[in-house]
This record gives sequence, C-alpha cells and structure tokens, in this order.
Amino acid sequence: MIEVRHVSKEFVSPKKYPGLKGAIKGLFSTEKVVKKAVEDISFTIQDGEIVGYIGSNGAGKSTTIKMMTGIMKPTSGECIVNGINPSAQRKKNAQEIGVVFGQRTQLWWDLPLSESFTILKEIYNVSDEDYAERMKFLNQVLQLDAFFDRPVRTLSLGQRMRADLGAALLHNPKVLYLDEPTIGLDLVVKDNIRAAIKEINEKYQTTVILTTHDIGDIEELCNRIIIIDEGKKIYDGSLEELKDTYGTRRTVSMEIKSPKEIVGLDLPEKLKVTEQACKVDFDEERKALSVSFDKHKLQVPQVLNAVMEVTEVSDIQIQETQLAEIVKEIYNHGLKQADS
Amino acid sequence: MRRKLRIYVPFALNELKTQLSYRGAFYLFILISTFSSFISYFLWMAIYGSTDKVMLGGLTRNEMVVYIFMVYVTRSIVCISISDWVSEDVVKGTVAMNLIKPMDYRLSLISRALGRSGYQFLVPSVFIWIGLELYKVNVLGMQVTGIWNILLYFISSIMSFLIFVLFDFCVGMIAFFTNYIFGLLMVKEALLRFLTGELIPLSFFPECVQRIFDFLPFSSMVYTPVMIYLGKYNTAELGFVLARQAVWVVLLYLLGSLIWKKVTTRLVVLGG
Repeated sequence: MIEVRHVSKEFVSPKKYPGLKGAIKGLFSTEKVVKKAVEDISFTIQDGEIVGYIGSNGAGKSTTIKMMTGIMKPTSGECIVNGINPSAQRKKNAQEIGVVFGQRTQLWWDLPLSESFTILKEIYNVSDEDYAERMKFLNQVLQLDAFFDRPVRTLSLGQRMRADLGAALLHNPKVLYLDEPTIGLDLVVKDNIRAAIKEINEKYQTTVILTTHDIGDIEELCNRIIIIDEGKKIYDGSLEELKDTYGTRRTVSMEIKSPKEIVGLDLPEKLKVTEQACKVDFDEERKALSVSFDKHKLQVPQVLNAVMEVTEVSDIQIQETQLAEIVKEIYNHGLKQADS
Repeated sequence: MRRKLRIYVPFALNELKTQLSYRGAFYLFILISTFSSFISYFLWMAIYGSTDKVMLGGLTRNEMVVYIFMVYVTRSIVCISISDWVSEDVVKGTVAMNLIKPMDYRLSLISRALGRSGYQFLVPSVFIWIGLELYKVNVLGMQVTGIWNILLYFISSIMSFLIFVLFDFCVGMIAFFTNYIFGLLMVKEALLRFLTGELIPLSFFPECVQRIFDFLPFSSMVYTPVMIYLGKYNTAELGFVLARQAVWVVLLYLLGSLIWKKVTTRLVVLGG
C-alpha cells in the first residue's frame, strides 16, 4: 500500500551570522547550512491500517507526511503510495489521498461550507450519487448539518476541523493523512473526531496515517505506531509491544500507619534485588511510601508482604507505567535509555 | 476539456463571490484608482493646454482623454496580480493545501484571476466605459467607437489578460526561491506602470526605446488593446500586434511550465 524506502530530506539555507555586522556579511556570504529533517526512513504500511506517526516537535513528522502526499520531493529515497510515486505524479496521487493539516484549512475561507464541498466535488470528479451517499455518511459521523451554510471563517475550531475532515473524505480516498487532527480541540470534539476516524476506517478500509501529540489519539486509534526522533526512525511496532517492552515498571503507593519502622527497612536487600529494580520513595510527613519496581523481577504481593511484615498499611494503589510516560521517556533520552 | 471547465470554473465564480463579500474594501479601491485616473487626466489636459501642437506623441487632446480612461478600464480587467496570491500562499504555507488536490496550481490561479477580472469589469469598469463613450459623443463631439474596434479590443484584451497573468505567475514563482517577495512586487508594480504605457503612452518614447519595447511583453499588456480601441492601427499593423500577443501567450505559458517544473523539485512548504 504505502512503501517508504530510505527517504531523506535536507533543507539548505544560507548561513546566518549574529548581529548587524553579521547581517551585512550574510548578504555577501555564499555559505550554506544543511539541516537534515528526515534521515533514511523506511517503512511499509498495509491496507486498512491505522498508524500513529509520533515524535517530539521538529522530529520530522510533518516533513515525512509532506513527502508522502507529494508536495515535497525527498532529497534521496522514494515513497510509493498505491504504486504511484507521489512527488513525480502529484495530481494522480492527489486523487487517491485525503489530507488534513490540523493547523491549516483546505476550505474556502470566505465562502459557506457548502460551496467548498461543491467545488471539491468537481475537483475530485465525484458523481452525484456518490456525493449524496458520502454526504449522508459524513453528516452522520461528523454532524456537518448544523453549520453547512455558514461561511468557513465563522466556524469554531472544532467545527472547522470536522469540516476539514469531511472535505478530505469526500472523494473516498484510499489513504488518509492526518497531521495533528485533534490539535486545540476540546474533549468532546476530540472523541467525535476519533470515533469518526474509526468508523471511516472500518467502513471503507481507509488506510490512516496520523501524527499527533495526544496520547489519547494513539491509544484509541492506532494498532501500530512509528516513533521518529531527530529525523530517524527509532521504533516501529504495535502499541502493546511498546508497552510490554518499555513499560516494565510498576508502582505501588501505600499509606503507612507507623513511619518509624519503614525508615529502617531496606527493601531491595530484603527482596534480594538491585536498587535499580526496586526504588523506594518515602514521604515521612504524609506517611506515603511508594515503591517502583521492575515487573519482570518482582510481583506486587512480594512487595506488599515485605512492607506489611514491618508495619500496617491503610491504603494501597497500584499503577502501570502510562504510555504517556514511556513516550516522554523516549523523547527525552531516545530509545536505548528508555530500555534500561 | 469539459471536465477541466467544471474543475476550474468554480475558482472563478468563488473569487467573484468572495469579492462580493468584501464590498466595502473594494469600493474604496475603486475610489482610489479612479482618483489617480483623474489626476492623470488633469495633468495631460494641462500639458495639452500649454502647447500649440494639435498632436502629442501621435495623440490629439481628445484621443488622450479616451486613452487615459481606456487604460483604466483595460488595467482593471487585465492586470490581476496573481503573484500576490502566490506570495501569500508561500509565506503562509497554504500552497500545500493547493498541492494536495488533483489540480493544476497555475490554472486554478488563472481561473481565480478570471473571476476577479469579471468582477472588476462589472464594478466599475463597464460604467466608466459607457460614461466615457457618452462624454466622447456629447461633449467632445467624437464618433462612437465602431463595433469592429470594440470586438478587436476584447479579443486583444483577453490575450493581454493571459500575457499578464502568465508573466505574473513567473514573477510569483520567485517567492518559492526567496520565500518573501513583497519588495519585488512593489518594484514590479512601479516598472509595469511605466513599461505598459499606463503613465505615458509608449508613442511618446524615442524611436530607439520603442524598438526595445517591441521585444518586451509589456507593451502587449495594456498599450496594444487601447491603441486598437482608438483605431490607431491599419490592417497590416493590426495583424502584427495581435500575432505578437499570441506569440507572447505561448512563450510565457512555456516559460511558466518550465519554472514550475523546477520549483516543484525543490519546493519547501513552510510551517507545521
């Protein structure tokens, strides 16, 4: 379906020098600075998959999307979407894809939304029957009716995003690219958008690639995620696998009756594991003990027993590592550190 | 062909509708531009008043009146600055939204320009034109312009429009290389006023300068249709200027395609 082979993108810009003197020097200088936005990325996406493409700000997500949609040409390597090279056959490719850039709109700003849809109908050569059927479906999942006759500039962000998603789907594209589709939306609209994406994927087997910073989007939608960092792919696999491999820690928080006994207790030694595998954090004032441990090396009952042998416990909470934290860890330190 | 029309006609219609939704700004623009035509009118009348010659640069006083106002009419239907739109698209990164659709960017811009041109013809050019004809006949005592000249004028104007937008598209393409072309657009505006004969009819220039203008596309933008309207060309000259316009349409079309090909290989879409 979508094949990305060793794609790289470099941006060349004139070198800038600091200060006024530097600005003048810059006028005559021919020195160039090369910035690698994407470096040697490869992946294959199957029909009907929903893939989350994530990475910190400036990691190269949007650049990759722009190359896959054909509006930017890779410096080296190539993308093949439905057997078409998007940057070489932009128009042919455009007929097959739908794109939503969350921060922009493809609608006509000054015209009623209905007008935008009629233009898009002509541009994508959608037949009258298909149009009627598609509109019925889109109205049902995105509720466009309520603001269909209003100029786009008067729509709220949530309405506009729904309208943009609808516009991208009007011609029933095989591939849908979503670049931050839920940015700046409230929880309810976010839920609606996610539900709509899911429904479209199920009904039309549309392949969806979305970039997002919202972990909720990923957890609810994606069966597969690709993480890139500084232009390089650092993870490609299922969500469960990521959680399994990197979400190895569990945290047990307890409220303790008598703090004194705890101070003398050396849990790692007692449970015969390294300090790394069992971190203890104790807040004497709040009588709160929290033990974070490697779930492959220790079990919850073991930890609880060890604590309850010395003191009484009045409250217990057990937490899995959140996906958000795994992702944060990866952004901060790259994949290797998150591994250890 | 019919499918092409169906795709691009909405761009023209939408530009029309968009213009209608911002009427206030547009009326202000009309006021300012007609104002400059009147300044030009009074200036030329003063020049004619201070000389004993009947003809200046091959134009009589009355012909000059027609020239000034027909330049206004022609300009408002021919000179649609699509490079402004390109520059905006590049700076804001909205060009991406045009490129994700299965359509030709240049054709969509030209269609949009056609919509703008149509609007500017209706508001207010056609009224100024009718007003001019009435003034000519009733006050200046001239003949009404013949239907044949009007027809030729429109044929020539359509080619002028194409020459202008195709040329302006090439200018706009510079934005893809420099990201910012506001200054350049100002220079273009100033130069065009001079080179198209808007400020001074090209016949006022020395012979050698006129020869140079013959090899540039600018005289075909405004000067040619206005001179046709004034009936200043004989049949042979008429054929030549129209053929020259047609050649420019083809040349600028090819140049634009070439530049566009270059641009798309090194296109950088700004922002998020």
